[in-house]
Amino acid sequence: MSRLFDHDGAPGSGYAQPSPLIDKETIQVTDAFKRKVMPKWPRISEPEMVRHYTWLSKRNFGIDTGFYPLGSCTMKHNPRVNEVIAQLPGIADIHPLQPDHQIQGLLNIYYEMQDMLAICAGMDAVTLQPVAGAQGEFTAIRCIQEYFRNKGELQRNKVIVPDSAHGTNPASAAMAGYEIIEIPSLQDGRLDLDALRSVVDEDTAAMMITNPNTLGLFEIDIAEASAIVHGVGGQMYYDGANFNAILGRTSPGLMGFDAVHYNLHKTFSQPHGGGGPGSGPIGVKSHLAPFLPGPVAARRPISEGDTLTLANDEFWYYWHEPELSIGKVQQWHGNAGAVIRCWAYYRRYGKHLKLMSEHAVMNANYLRHRIQEEAKIAGLSEYIVDGAPADVVKHEFTLSMAKLKEDKGVGAMDVAKGLLDMGYMAPTVYFPLVVPECMMIEPTETESKATLDEFAKKFIQVLALDPETLHQAPITTPVRRVDEVHAARNLWLRHDGVDR
Amino acid sequence: MTDHLPNLGRENEMLAAMGHASMDDLFIELPENVRCKEPLALPEAQSEEEILADARKLLGSNLDLGSTVNFLGSGLYRNFVPSSVFQLITRGEFLTSYTPYQPEVSQGMLQAMWEFQSLITELVGLPIANLSVYDGSTAAAEAITCAVRVHARKAEQKNTVYVSELIPPDRLSVIQNYTQGSELIIKSMKHDENGHIPLEEWKKASGSCAVYVEQPNPLGIMDQSLFSAKETLGNHTAFIVGIQPVSLGVFEPPGNYDADIVVGEGQPLGSPVTYGGPLYGIFACTKPYLRQMPGRIVGRTIDVDGKEAYCLTLSTREQHIRRHRATSNLCTNETLIAMMGAMHMALLGPEGIETLGLRNLASRQLLQNEISKLSDIHLPYGASQHFNEFVIELPYPAEECLDYLERFGVIGGLDLSRWYDGWNHRLLISTSDQTSKSDIKILLNHLSKWLTSKSEVIA
Repeated sequence: MSRLFDHDGAPGSGYAQPSPLIDKETIQVTDAFKRKVMPKWPRISEPEMVRHYTWLSKRNFGIDTGFYPLGSCTMKHNPRVNEVIAQLPGIADIHPLQPDHQIQGLLNIYYEMQDMLAICAGMDAVTLQPVAGAQGEFTAIRCIQEYFRNKGELQRNKVIVPDSAHGTNPASAAMAGYEIIEIPSLQDGRLDLDALRSVVDEDTAAMMITNPNTLGLFEIDIAEASAIVHGVGGQMYYDGANFNAILGRTSPGLMGFDAVHYNLHKTFSQPHGGGGPGSGPIGVKSHLAPFLPGPVAARRPISEGDTLTLANDEFWYYWHEPELSIGKVQQWHGNAGAVIRCWAYYRRYGKHLKLMSEHAVMNANYLRHRIQEEAKIAGLSEYIVDGAPADVVKHEFTLSMAKLKEDKGVGAMDVAKGLLDMGYMAPTVYFPLVVPECMMIEPTETESKATLDEFAKKFIQVLALDPETLHQAPITTPVRRVDEVHAARNLWLRHDGVDR
Repeated sequence: MTDHLPNLGRENEMLAAMGHASMDDLFIELPENVRCKEPLALPEAQSEEEILADARKLLGSNLDLGSTVNFLGSGLYRNFVPSSVFQLITRGEFLTSYTPYQPEVSQGMLQAMWEFQSLITELVGLPIANLSVYDGSTAAAEAITCAVRVHARKAEQKNTVYVSELIPPDRLSVIQNYTQGSELIIKSMKHDENGHIPLEEWKKASGSCAVYVEQPNPLGIMDQSLFSAKETLGNHTAFIVGIQPVSLGVFEPPGNYDADIVVGEGQPLGSPVTYGGPLYGIFACTKPYLRQMPGRIVGRTIDVDGKEAYCLTLSTREQHIRRHRATSNLCTNETLIAMMGAMHMALLGPEGIETLGLRNLASRQLLQNEISKLSDIHLPYGASQHFNEFVIELPYPAEECLDYLERFGVIGGLDLSRWYDGWNHRLLISTSDQTSKSDIKILLNHLSKWLTSKSEVIA
């Protein structure tokens, strides 16, 4: 074990700092404010610190380590040029309180990203301010809320979500103060229009839904659903978590949505960093645009007196405050560093983003097919049960391990742990909740045919293992099954012991 | 673009294996009326080298602070971050991992976040910290909603919270957006002529659900009234203090003066300013708030063999389990940036954070002393203890002053009329460990020249 708090080296050994600009003795600190006891931090030198974090990194699995088929998370390759660009001083070392004329390049890129995202989703206006998908959801729901308040429709206090929705959808709407109405899905996992019809009324503010849904299936009745919600004056909200499946083939705008959030850390390859940072811009139709959090990047033709740079030879870029803005959801302008990375990513595809989605969908269908084939060869087809029946899936698919659990006592979690022993990240398990013993698999477009073929083989090999082996799995990982119940009962949240 | 798509050119082979004739077969179920009729109206694809060249030109036309003499801070500060931090966080095992849902293969990130929690609790003087929220503004907002959940029943001033009147408007706007759903009443706390909160203001806030104030406050001022605030507020009012983490290298941590929740912008430790994002929000609290806190938290535990292990814990507060009854919608957070913070804190150690705090103090003190010698400039809060920034009042509009200084490559600070109505003659000047003696000399030189030129015009 390498533990940070075990290090107690020489004082100041980490890095040498220059002395304060004036003598220490002359620095004035009122006694009352003076810190009496310094934090009990470790003392670690640079070589030891580098080794500690390198050791930690070897106990962590990333896309760079191996195949990462974590459904709903779109774990695609993160191009490294994006990292190089994000470290340039023109982004890393600029301040959000600098005036427009000092940041024409930044504004130019923001403008281009707003424009690109609007085009991809069939929306009219975009803000890049929300810093995560969930914050994007919250922001869009706030815009819808202010839109109705502005119209005087104050009675609209309900938001509808399907039971297969991501947990953030109901949580975000509840944060904005809405009552949540959950509607059940059909047997095949798709949206139940009758259930929707039975709950919409003049109190409906919005419906939140993702398409393809969390089972990886395209909601073919989506336009009808939009018509039903619009019919009572409600708004349609598109959860962009699964946007990677549809670029250039269809768009939330064409499906009738009024607002959408994008997960730049999924679709546009901002590295997920073990949990963040992400970026969750939202796009809206023109009737919601005045309510967007401000400011948004805007431009006008160059006029006399403008300070010209390489970034603005044609247009002058500036921050513009939407007239009925809900205000801010983050103090500055969102995760600019993520926006820049995703700009670099999108530039790599340009108008061919459709190809990205096609390959994501092709890889998902191919992997599903190969798993079925391998199961046939091994005589295990009865255990490869679709979470929902479908001829084709989109960017991801679900399998139910319910039969395996029933016959052999091996559940989705056991299979997941078995896959860890094979050197893979496990798929998402137990989500969506509507599929029993669910495994949700999303290969993304950046995996090769060879990787998919190999994974299909290994997946079936895992299913064929005897139950006891799988109950014991994983055995090759840095630690074996972690006792989460013990963690919750004996809360040990910091270095100096269990909190009692 | 082919370099992203390993199966480009193999489409026919893979489609045929599945029994499909074309890519269109995979989108067969899309109803005609929702299909894109036109290709995406976007430009041609670019190669890596073309993108990099464009990025250098576009970003190169921004004015980066390293090529100026800079005194702009106001919540985000350019302290030096050691090079090893940048090198280590680009390790793919960290950079390209997701939230640690499979703890057996995520021990590295989990342990690093548990160590981060430990570093933060030590710094702020509270027993519990989560593994970060988005930034300082959302940390403040989430702290308020968390406190209201804890105190809603027993607070005498129902649904009411008090917030310092000096909170910058954009931060206040975030708080308003996050709290309007629970129909909170946000009342303002006044500061006196020294920038301190008088006793009667604390008394007014007593019995409300929560109070949110910052130390140092947004004008850089330290306020001794916070030391006895909790006593006045009482047990049913959460005392929430927003901090600048570097200041805690020299100043008493709020945990030692009975703060219930400490939040703050983590950026000055570990992260560049990056135009205000990504950052990381610090969130620490005492035990009564634990089960109502937002975001993720790591616990140390054991594996089946009894070996030391780490995992996410107390997840039943969170959206993926509790859905609309969750304590927050937080899912993606700022883990990697928090990790940069942990690395920076580790390298500093207890002596290093003190030195860093002293360097910030010293730069501010030197500059403040020198500026106070300029006859036309007034320091409205000059008598108070400051950390790394302070207000000056000019005889002419601050905006003109900033324009003048910029001609000489100096970014003089923040025109405070951007925050507060009528403060057109006031400038907030910030320093950091990167402020040099020569920076100070250059600022003073041009400031006095500007004052002279203005008085000559008027004369």
